[in-house]
Amino acid sequence: MPSNKPSDKKSTLKPATLDATPALSDAEVLQTFKDPNTIQAYRDLYDALGRAYWEASDIKDKDTIQGIRDHIYEILTDLNIEKLQANTELFFALKSKIEDNNDALGDIKKKIAKITKNLSTVASVISAISKVLSLAPSLL
Amino acid sequence: MFLNLDKSSAHEFPCTMRHRQSLPALLGVSLFLLAGCSLSPLARNTASFSSAASLVVDNTQNAYRTAVRLNEEAQASLLVARFDSAQPMDPHSIRPLIDDKGLKTRTEVLNGLQAYAQTIADLSNGVSSPKLDEAAAACGANLKSLGDALATSTSIGINVSATEANAASTAFKALGDFLVNRQVRSSVPKVIHEMAPHIEALANLLSSDITTLRDQSGRDYEQLLAQQDSFIRHAGSSLSATERRAEIERLPRILARKQATDDMLGELQTSVRKLAETHHALAVSATSKDSLSLQARIADLRASAEGLATFYQSLSASSDK
Repeated sequence: MPSNKPSDKKSTLKPATLDATPALSDAEVLQTFKDPNTIQAYRDLYDALGRAYWEASDIKDKDTIQGIRDHIYEILTDLNIEKLQANTELFFALKSKIEDNNDALGDIKKKIAKITKNLSTVASVISAISKVLSLAPSLL
Repeated sequence: MFLNLDKSSAHEFPCTMRHRQSLPALLGVSLFLLAGCSLSPLARNTASFSSAASLVVDNTQNAYRTAVRLNEEAQASLLVARFDSAQPMDPHSIRPLIDDKGLKTRTEVLNGLQAYAQTIADLSNGVSSPKLDEAAAACGANLKSLGDALATSTSIGINVSATEANAASTAFKALGDFLVNRQVRSSVPKVIHEMAPHIEALANLLSSDITTLRDQSGRDYEQLLAQQDSFIRHAGSSLSATERRAEIERLPRILARKQATDDMLGELQTSVRKLAETHHALAVSATSKDSLSLQARIADLRASAEGLATFYQSLSASSDK
C-alpha cells in the first residue's frame, strides 16, 4: 500500500517554485538594495510613477499608481533610515575624539587659572604682610 | 613699588620725580602692548570662527528636527490613506527617520563642536581676565596698604600713592595677560591643528546625513502632495465648496515648502563644507601671520549661516500644517 507520507528524500526537498527562485535572506535583500544602481533605479521608478499619477485622469488609476508608489516610498525610506543609523555609529566614534580635544582645552584653562591663582597669591601675601605690620608695628 | 621721597628732598631730584611719574604708565603701556598685539589675530579669528560655527550648529540641529517632523507627517499621511484599504497600515510599523539615540548622539557631537569653538575663542580672547583683573587690582591695593603700614610702623619712609598702586595693578595685569597669552599661543594652535581631521570627518558625516535628508524630504513632500490630492478627489461632494477650495489651495503650498526645504538643506550642506574649510584655514593661520584668506572665509561662512537662520524662521512661520 503506497504511503501518503512523502518519502524521506522528497521531504528534504524544498518546493519546486522555491528551488527556481531561492528565497533571499533579509541580509541579502538589504545588500541588494544597498547597491547604488538598485537604489537609483527605485528612485527613478518612484519619480516616473509620480509623473504617471499626475497624468492619470481616472481616480482608480491614480489609486493603483499611488499604491505602488507608496510601497517604493517605504522601501526607500527604510534604506535612508538604515543609512542614518550607520552614520550614528560613526558620529558616536567621532564624539570621543572631539571630547578628547575639548579635554585638552580644559587642561589649558586649568593652567591659565593657575597663573591667575599665582597672581592672587602674590596679592594675598602682600595683604598678609601689611596686616601683620599694622597689627604689630612694634615688631619692626 | 616706588620709593616716596620726602618733599624736602624732592626739589633736589627733579629728574627723578619726572621719571617717577611717567614710569608706571610707561611700564603699563609697554606690557600691554607686549601682551596684546601678537595675540590679536588668533583671538579675532577664533572669535569669528566660534560665532559662525555656532550658527552652523544651530542650523544643523534645526535641519534634523525639520526632517524628522516632516517624515512623521508623511508617514501619518500614508497611515490615513491606507486606513480603509484591504491592507491597513499598522501604526506600530512607523519608524522615526532618526531614532532617539541617533538624535542624541548627533546633538552631543554638535554640542562638542560648539564647546570646542567657544573654548578656543574664550582662551584666545582671555575670558578669564575678570579673575586676573581682580588679582591685579588686589596687588596694587595691597601694595598701597603695605606702604602705609611700613610708613607708620617704621622710619623707612616708604609710601605708595594711589597712582602708583594703580600703576602696579596695571603692571600686574599686563604681566598676567602676558603669561596667559604665552600659554594660549603655545597650546591652542596645537589643539586646533589636532582637531582639523576630526572637523573634516565631522563635515563629511554631516554632509552625508544632509544628502540623505534631502533625498528623503523630497519624497516626503511628494507623498504629502499625492495623499492630499487623493483625499480631495475621494472626498468629492462631502466637502463644501469653501472647504474644497481651501484643501486644493494646500497643494501649491506643499510644493513651495518642498522647494524651500531642499534649498535650505543645499545651503546647509554648503555651510558645513565652508565650516571645514574655514577651520582648516584657522589651523594654518594659527601658526602663521597670514590671515587675510581666513577672514574672507569666515565672512563667507557667517553670511551663509545667517541666511539659513533667517530661512528657518520663515519656514516655521509658513509651515503648512
